[in-house]
Parts: sequence; structure tokens; C-alpha cells
Amino acid sequence: MAESKYLTEHYGKPEYQTLEGYKKLGGYQVLEKALKMQPQQIIDEVKASGLRGRGGAGFATGVKWGFLPNNGEPRYLLCNADESEPGTFKDRLMMERAPHQLIEGMIISAFAIKAKKAYIYIRGEYTGPAAILEKAIAEAKAAGYIGKNVLGSGFDMELDLYIGAGAYICGEETGMISSLEGLKGQPKLKPPFPAVQGYLRKPTIVNNVETLAAVTYVIRDGAAGFRKYGTEKSAGTKLFSISGNVNKPGTYEVPLGYKLMDLINIECGGLKPGRKLKAVVPGGSSAPVINAEECERATLDYECLAQMGTMLGSGAIIVIDDSNCMVDVLSTITHFYHHESCGQCTPCREGTGWMEKIVHGIVHGEGKPGDLDLLLKIADNMKGRTICALSDAAALPVLSFVTKFRDEFEYFIREKKSKVRGGQIYAQMHA
Amino acid sequence: MLKCTLNGREVEVKEGTTIIEAFYQNKIDIAHYCWHPGLSIAGVCRLCMVEIEGNPRLQIACNTVVTEGMKVNNQSAKVKEAVKWGLDFHLINHPLDCPICDQAGECGLQDQYMKYGQYDSEMAEAKQKKHKVVDLGPRVVLDSERCILCSRCVRFTDEVSKTNELGIFNRGDRAEIGTFNGKPLNNKYSLNTVDICPVGALTSKDFRFRQRVWFLKDAETVCTGCSTGCNIKVHYNREGLFRVKPVYNAEVNGHWMCDEGRDVYKFVNKESRLLDARVVSGGKAEHMTAFEAAKRVGEKLKGAGKSVGLVLTGSYTVEEYEAIMSYFKTEVGTDRVFHWINNPESFESFDGLLLRGDRNPNTRGLVQALQKHGFSAQWKELTEALSTGSIQTLVVAGPENQVWFPDFKVKVAELAKATRLVWMTSGKSSALDELKGEVTLIPLKSYIEKSGTFVNHAGRAQSIRPVTSIVKGALSLTEVVSAFRGEALQATEVVVGRSENEIGRGRIHNEFTLSRGAW
Repeated sequence: MAESKYLTEHYGKPEYQTLEGYKKLGGYQVLEKALKMQPQQIIDEVKASGLRGRGGAGFATGVKWGFLPNNGEPRYLLCNADESEPGTFKDRLMMERAPHQLIEGMIISAFAIKAKKAYIYIRGEYTGPAAILEKAIAEAKAAGYIGKNVLGSGFDMELDLYIGAGAYICGEETGMISSLEGLKGQPKLKPPFPAVQGYLRKPTIVNNVETLAAVTYVIRDGAAGFRKYGTEKSAGTKLFSISGNVNKPGTYEVPLGYKLMDLINIECGGLKPGRKLKAVVPGGSSAPVINAEECERATLDYECLAQMGTMLGSGAIIVIDDSNCMVDVLSTITHFYHHESCGQCTPCREGTGWMEKIVHGIVHGEGKPGDLDLLLKIADNMKGRTICALSDAAALPVLSFVTKFRDEFEYFIREKKSKVRGGQIYAQMHA
Repeated sequence: MLKCTLNGREVEVKEGTTIIEAFYQNKIDIAHYCWHPGLSIAGVCRLCMVEIEGNPRLQIACNTVVTEGMKVNNQSAKVKEAVKWGLDFHLINHPLDCPICDQAGECGLQDQYMKYGQYDSEMAEAKQKKHKVVDLGPRVVLDSERCILCSRCVRFTDEVSKTNELGIFNRGDRAEIGTFNGKPLNNKYSLNTVDICPVGALTSKDFRFRQRVWFLKDAETVCTGCSTGCNIKVHYNREGLFRVKPVYNAEVNGHWMCDEGRDVYKFVNKESRLLDARVVSGGKAEHMTAFEAAKRVGEKLKGAGKSVGLVLTGSYTVEEYEAIMSYFKTEVGTDRVFHWINNPESFESFDGLLLRGDRNPNTRGLVQALQKHGFSAQWKELTEALSTGSIQTLVVAGPENQVWFPDFKVKVAELAKATRLVWMTSGKSSALDELKGEVTLIPLKSYIEKSGTFVNHAGRAQSIRPVTSIVKGALSLTEVVSAFRGEALQATEVVVGRSENEIGRGRIHNEFTLSRGAW
């Protein structure tokens, strides 16, 4: 099976960006249908569809919605557009090509969970998509899709765009809520969970851009229709961002359960001539790396990758061929997490820096014999010990890189040079 | 009540109790830095890890509520390893400058290292550099490298003082505590941040570099700074008092005390005390013991009747008021007893947290004693009596701390109109030294040297006991009354269980004391 254009069906058409074009291609018709349904019906449909969060954790969307207390308190819907997991750029494409697809999905979702106020929290670096969204929101407001009494249904809904300042941690849902509240973007202690006490201490649902866009399709085609693609536990299609050493990097939509190697070889045109696949980071930089042998067996769904000890994450696939030194790659990854740790919890605050310093030392020929075991111990003690998952996100690549490519690390420590690129300086190689 | 098991011990706790509270209530040791019973839960130090049966992941005890039948353990190998690593994460970028750190000896890092650590650090990389000697405000200095970012101080300024001066700036291991430009840490409770700082990051400008804490002893007493009567601990050695810290009392001060109360150690130390008794007459001063001076005064007072007046401040104990008032009523024969109130315009004020305008520990006790003895004279009657000469001998007791009596010098001049003035106080003053005419000065004991009872603004009686002896031969008002009568003093109150030799045995000086510089 090849690439399936489901959510991205009309992405090639420039007019899809505008309200007029979007409507011409069937846009906002699902909203009209949804507004005639009972909110609970929509929630049930989403539950039945098996739609799972596309942001990284893969939590069942309908179940998440079901956590909201049934007490008439004001509640909020937040769209997480702080796409900052290294390697991920699918939400950007969606917001650029089909802003109204997201907006329609948000209105339907807000109606389902009875939220009268929704925000899109977009990362600060996404100035282009932010401008497109601003325009699209204005269009939707003018057309009566947002505001008082949406399409005469009696449902009131406000939607606003909030531009973050560009911190990775604000993509964590409670970090995002803190940032939206005007506080320093730091995750909040759980419990209470956002569904009970979130934005402004009111029940709040945070969903990823792709998840909210997919809700429209669940309602349009029904749960069964949505399940036409994907597997039993990983229903639907998913957008994958592929970067690294492939001939055609980019964003591709394929059904969940698709073979990783097919995506690399068919959609992405394979590797550069003469190159051999060494490893793939399958779900954004925080997902444990898998080696070439594991890639052969990998299918792109939540279960298979979890079984391999890694994760589908945000669907960011980083392809690494044999021209890359894994020590260099890990050095870049550890630098990122050191830079982005919010500094709240001690293990993450101190551990991310410590790991970076050790890996950095190895790259600079200052590695010591005990470094690898120490790295593993540090990473082990950062895992599952903090408020949010950033600590785990920093620890997992270290654990997987050092375990699976230990020979490259040992060579670097012993010989003071890279097994792959020799004595060349990393920066010069990539200049 | 819920039943749960802590380290195999079955205990009962109230519903809603967190695991860390359950450990505390049952006096079982648990490692932690960021949790403080008087502040909200931050859950960031990740040290109070516990293993809960049935849960594969370690949980933090501070943010987990006890449920019925919960089996909690903080002694398992898994927890010990996690705590050890948690501690190491705190220490890898810590400068380990204990030899020059003021917190040494009472530092959370040192304590927990001895309890849960005792390993060799594997950190061989360069430590993170941060700002040192950051002047946060008039009373507090920050060393960011020592800081473990537990956020207690930030939460204190957010939640208790509600002044929000502090924040954590920057991210990751570059994060530092700081203040906004132009808004220093300058609230009336700022030194509490130093108390709750588990490490040597926040230090008190007043105390830093003055004394090693292991050369100090401590004793609990009551703050005499205002009518709230916060429970405090004074830290002292044979040189005197060095600092004051609050002691938890849910009904009086909670966990906190104000910065001005921290100064109640200063006026009891020798350098600000009246050291001996003096009788000045015809321009000549005669020095003698307090007892001798009081005995001579007593001879003249006996039966002198209404030509004698007595002025009292709210600084003394219930027992002292009783002794001196009954003496004046029955043996002197006067009802001219006056209450000297400090700064009357702000006397009733209250800052909403702890600090009251009435800067006396026992105003309520004094007022009750005045009523009991039927003394109802008003201050203006005293002014009149002094100008008409109907009061010739005036006996004054107080105030113990002149700083909080802004009208002190004015009052001295006013009261000096009496033909004979007997002034009893613990503090020295140039205003008293310069008095002409017939003046007797009698040194009194301070609150740190006597026992007795103070009644606070709410009518709560709190007792004090002698902590140490600073001025030899000073008397309490009760002892003064005995001396008035010519009775030999009862055995002077000795410091219970703290003989002179015991106080600060051995070295008392830090031989490497540094100059406090510009602070």
C-alpha cells in the first residue's frame, strides 16, 4: 500500500488555505453535521474510532475527553501547536496548508466537550503558520463559524491564537498551560491533571494539531470509516516527518501500521547511492534509536514500536546512514535537552547538563574509560523521577545510543577519534 | 482515620494526609528539600521518593495522598538508590565550599549526605558557574552556586509575605534565583527565606561570617519585639546572643517571624547594656551594685505616699508587675502609677501577618495588673504633677529596647523634671547619662536573663526562662522590690542546666573571621 492521502487530500491545492477554497472542497460541512449531534455522541464516536493523540504520547483522545468532570464548570480546549520535538514538522505543514481544517476540528471538539473558549498555542518560531492561522481565524469569525451562536446552533465559542516564546518545554501540556497563564513555562505537578484542573485551574483538554484535525474526519466518515486505515490499536492515518539521509525528506501521510522500510524506500526514495542504513530515530529525538536490523521489522504503529522499546512519538523519523558518527548525533541530542530542561526538577536540571558534558568530552577526545557506564547510570536515574517527561526524553536517547552503538563510543574514547569520520572535526564536516 | 503502613509499621492518619506528613507525624525520617509544611507543594527536589506497594514507579511523598491500606516504604534498596542519586544530582554543580559557608553545620546537603549519601562523586566535568554574593535586599545575600533551586524562598514571597520579589530566572542548570530590577527583597519578613533555605544560598547579612553555628547553643523563648509574642529560639554563646530564629507555634506565629523581631538579640548584649548602678547627686556620680542602689532608694520610698510616682512600660513580666505594684500600693502608699505607651499613634496597628504596632511583649499583662490594683492614672496627670511639683520622686522602669520607643529622649527630658529620678532599665543611653540633678540608675535584667510570664495581644500567657547571664548583678523588678525592702536577694536565678562553663565550651571564635565589608 502506498501513501494514503486522507487528511492531506487537498494539501496540494493553494486555495485550500482560504475559507472560500476550503468550503469549495467540502470544508465546514462536517461542522454543520456535528452541531446537529449530541456532544456525547461525538465523544462516543471519537472513542469508537480509536483515535490516539498525535502529539507524542498516543493517548486515546476519546478517553482523555471522558476525564472531564461533569459539573458545568467552564472548561477550555487548547490546541498544542508548540511543535518542538526535534525532527517534527508535520503540524507546521497542516497549519500552513489547511488552517481551516484545524479550526473546523477545534470547533467540533469544543462543541463535544462543551468548551466555550479555545486557544491555539503555537511556538514562537512558527511566525509563518501563525500569520496564516490569524487570517483563517478572522475569516472563520467573520463567517460565523466562531463566536456567539455558531451557525444558529446556540453554541457559543471563542477561538484565539497564542504565540509562545519558543521553549521546548511549553509543548508539555502543563508547561503550555503555565505559559498560557502568563507564568514561566514550567510543567505543573500532577495530580491534579489538566482535565480536572488545567488552564486557570479549570478543566482543560489539550490536543495536538493533527488530533484535532482528525476529529473532523472521524465525524465525517464515522468511527468505522476512520478505521478503514490503520490497525486495530492504531487506527487511521498519520503524518510522518522524515528527515536525515533520505533522497526525499518531507512530510508523508501513511496509514498506521505501514512498514518503516517502505516509507524510507518507496515514499522517500531510499538512501543516497552507496550508503547503508545505520539507524532510525522513529518518533522524534526523545524516542530510543533503533538499528538497521530492527528497522527491517518495524511497522509504524504504536504497538510495534513500543514492543521494540521505542515509540511512535510525534511521527518524526530521523534516518541515519553509515556516514554518521553516532557519538556526534548523541552529542547534538544531549545538547538540545540540556538547553531545553526547564530546571525545575533536580534530576533533569542537573542530569541533562552532566550528560551533555560527558558526551561533549568524548567528542572532543577527552573521554574516560568509565564514561559510558556513568552515562547509563545517570540516564537510568533520570528516568521516571521528574514532574514531566523531559527527563525521560533526555535519558532514553542516551540509553539507546550507548547500548546499541557502544562500539562507536568505545572506539572514540580509546582512539580519541571517530570510528566513522576519523580525526576530522565534526563542525568542519558539516560546514 | 485511615490505616497505612510506613516501613512495615502500621499507623493511622487523617484523611487527606500526604505521605510525607504521615512520615513526619510518626517521626520517621524522610529525605526532602523543597517540601515545607508552611508552603505549597512544589515537588521538584525529587528526594522524598517512596515505594508504594503495587506501583512500579517510585512516587514523591509530598504530593501523594495516603489511601486506606497503602503500604509505603522509604527504606528499600530501590528508594535508597534513588535518594542517593537525587542527592548527587543536587551536589554535582554545588561548589562544596563548606569551609567558608555560613550554613555549614546546619546544612541540608551536609545532613542528608551523611544520612543517605556517603559515596564518592563521579562528577569529573567542570561545574556550572553562577553568580555569587548577589545582594538581594537590605538583609539577605544570595550565592547562586550553592542554591539547589528548591523554590522555598520564591514560594515564601508568593504565598506568605505576598510580596513576590523573588523569581527563578533562566532555565535548566543555568537557572538562578533573583529579583526584578528595582525591586529588591525588601519586605518585613525577608529573613524567613534565610531560615527556610536548606543550604547556604541565602544568608543573613546580619549573621554571616560572625560565628560558626557549632559554637552556638540555642534556647527557646518568646520574642519581645511586639505584642504578638512569636515563639523564638535564640542562638548564643558566652559572648552573648548572635541571632534569633522562629519556633513553630500554630496558635501564635506559625512557622514565621518578622525581620524586626530578629533584632531582639541586639539590645540584650553587653555593648548596649547598662552595666552598673549609679547614684548621681550634686554633680557627683557614685558607682555601686544594683542591689545597694535599690536598697538606698527603698529607704527613701517607704511610706513616702503620693509624692512618689511610678512609670512602667509593657516590657516586664506579669510577676514583676505584681511585685512592684503591690509594693508601691501598700509600702510606698501611692496610686500614681503610669503606663508609658510607645508611639501611641501606631500602637493599635497590625500588618495582617505578625507585626503589631504595640512594641511590648506584655502590654496586656500590664493593663491587667493596673486594673487589678485599681491604678487608673492618665499620662497627662503625670505631666501636670511634674510641673506642679506634686510628684517629687519618680521611679521609671523601662523600656527594655529604646529603639522601639521613638519618643525615648523626649520622655527622658520630660520625666527629668522630677526632683529625684530613679531610672531602672537594662539598656544604656546617653540621654540617661547626661541627666543632671538627683538621679539613680539601676541596671535591670533583660528577658533573656529571667523567668516569668508575658501575656500577648490575644491574652495568651507564655512563659520565659533564663537562657544566659549577660550583665552580672542586674536585677529583675521582683528583685528590685526585695532590695527596696532591704531583704537579701534570694539565690539569683541561675540558668537551668546551663552552667557558665557549659555555655560555649572550648573555642568560641572562628579564628578566620572575615571582615563583613560593606554590609
